Amino acid sequence: MSPRAASPDHPEIAPANADAVIACEDVSHVYQAGTPLESVAVQGVSLRIGRGEFVGIVGPTGSGKSTLVQHFNGLLRPTSGRVIVAGESLDRRGADVRKVRRTVGLLFQYPEHQLFEETVARDVAFGPRNLGLDEEDVEERVTWALRLVGLDPERFGPRSPFSLSGGEMRRVAIAGVLAMKPAVLVLDEPTAGLDPVGRREILDRVQSLRAEQKITIVLVAHSMDDVARLCERIVVLHQGRVALDAPTRAAFSAADRLREIGLDVPRVSDLLWRLRAGGLPVRTDRLTVAEAVDEIARTMRAGASGGRRERGDA
Amino acid sequence: MFRGLVAGQYVPRRSFVHGLDPRTKILASLALITVIFLVGDFPGYGVLAALVIASIAASWLPILAVLRGLRPILFLVVLTFLLQVFLGGHDDGTVLWGGGPFVVTREGVREGAFVAVRLLILVTSTSLLTLTTSPMDLTEGLERLLRPFRRVGVPAHELAMMMTIALRFVPTLIDETEKIMKAQMARGAELQSGNLFQRARAMIPILVPLFVSAFRRADELALAMEARCYRGGEGRTRMRQLRFGAGDLFAAFTVTAVGALAVWWGRVS
Ligand SMILES: Nc1ncnc2c1ncn2[C@@H]1O[C@H](COP(=O)(O)OP(=O)(O)OP(=O)(O)O)[C@@H](O)[C@H]1O
Ligand SMILES: [Mg+2]
Repeated sequence: MSPRAASPDHPEIAPANADAVIACEDVSHVYQAGTPLESVAVQGVSLRIGRGEFVGIVGPTGSGKSTLVQHFNGLLRPTSGRVIVAGESLDRRGADVRKVRRTVGLLFQYPEHQLFEETVARDVAFGPRNLGLDEEDVEERVTWALRLVGLDPERFGPRSPFSLSGGEMRRVAIAGVLAMKPAVLVLDEPTAGLDPVGRREILDRVQSLRAEQKITIVLVAHSMDDVARLCERIVVLHQGRVALDAPTRAAFSAADRLREIGLDVPRVSDLLWRLRAGGLPVRTDRLTVAEAVDEIARTMRAGASGGRRERGDA
Repeated sequence: MFRGLVAGQYVPRRSFVHGLDPRTKILASLALITVIFLVGDFPGYGVLAALVIASIAASWLPILAVLRGLRPILFLVVLTFLLQVFLGGHDDGTVLWGGGPFVVTREGVREGAFVAVRLLILVTSTSLLTLTTSPMDLTEGLERLLRPFRRVGVPAHELAMMMTIALRFVPTLIDETEKIMKAQMARGAELQSGNLFQRARAMIPILVPLFVSAFRRADELALAMEARCYRGGEGRTRMRQLRFGAGDLFAAFTVTAVGALAVWWGRVS
């Protein structure tokens, strides 16, 4: 993370938080306010996302995840509260929304429904063109982005996006956002409806992209396994409020709280919890399979008698 | 963004008017429309206005909802009035005001007000139909009314089904439009700036995905209907049967009587 001076326009951001690219202060969003159909989607959310962070946002269906992330690039304005993105306060009249949209790239849920051009290459070029780049740069970015999502530009570039499979369309849509090279990438369930291999591939590419480009990533996801594997910090939304905001390890050692909300716990954590409940004193803050194997082996070696009893039961 | 803007949208209530048979309401509306065009003078409209106001009261509608439904056509009413006053060709009447090429006469103002009132009553009475009748009931009533004309080739059931589906998908398409607009804005699309040509071009990234998804939806819906053995209206029975009641008789009588009174009172003397 690069240190950055507090913006003079917003002295209220404490210097300690000057690194926040996205800051939400007591943000609420009410759809159709003042009508009988009024529905509160987000309520009193305060959140700071620092430069270079990889944050996972999880929560049950309808908990307000999509609503919240649409505030991050000014597509939605808060009903109350403030959203500050890259030093730009979005509730202010005349806020530079264009600048904010360049900084924050948002990939919508089911983004394949937004493809419209005659060819894949032209569709991916839509974003960069809107940035006002010249043709040469645009082309370069299109090639780069398509490679990044695992599509051969030579082969897929000239094809019609509507002739692709669902998974390929998804990749094209992701490339369309990547090609804008945003400093913050917000992905709203980028892998929903993909097969496990495709899911893993896309997430791995997102992760390597972050390592190379040092960008900030916000990942909205349903799969706890993915979030546990990739993110450093987890924000859990429940009925429009932040139910939990903690580093990944800490978050999943609060497994009971997560279950209460109706969320899954990663399979590894789940296994460790069950072992613990069954009498094996393992630590539950392990997240990867390798870590869990080590932990179980260690515990069983340490408490050889306890381990034997366990095996006897089986 | 667009939601809640649909004028004349059904407002569920338990009232006398809501409880009427949809066929009664459709026929009454048709009768009223005819009467509105038969009436030739203000007293007739006074009678009709009284009927419309009484109906609003009898349907327990929030008066605000009804007025809000009128807002979109207010511009049209004002425009019609002004056109009548200035360009209606009443130059030979009693001059009230004259400035340059425009002359305002008493007859012109009278004619303008007449047309404006006619338009207002027309819209209010027809929107009263959609405000108090659910789309389901509306299409059901329409189908039943068209049924006798099947013998001369009117596809009553198909027309009603098409209307039901169209009404059902209006909110879905509005949602979809909103979502696609946001997605393209996130990709830096400029929708609100530029000249007319640029703006028309900016609609392409919205319209193409919208049509694609509408066709996909239509396909899926057709498939889903066939999978559930839908094969047209032949031999289909209804879960809810339409029945005329005493209220319908009363409403039919009232509308006929008041309509006749309006025509008689509003005849051109
Ligand atoms: N355009 C809208 N108009 C009205 N209400 C909406 C709209 N979009 C969402 N909502 C409501 O706001 C609430 C939160 O929706 P949101 O889409 O943010 O949830 P989510 O956490 O993204 O869910 P999912 O996991 O299903 O994507 C829901 O109750 C939803 O019904
Ligand atoms: Mg969502």
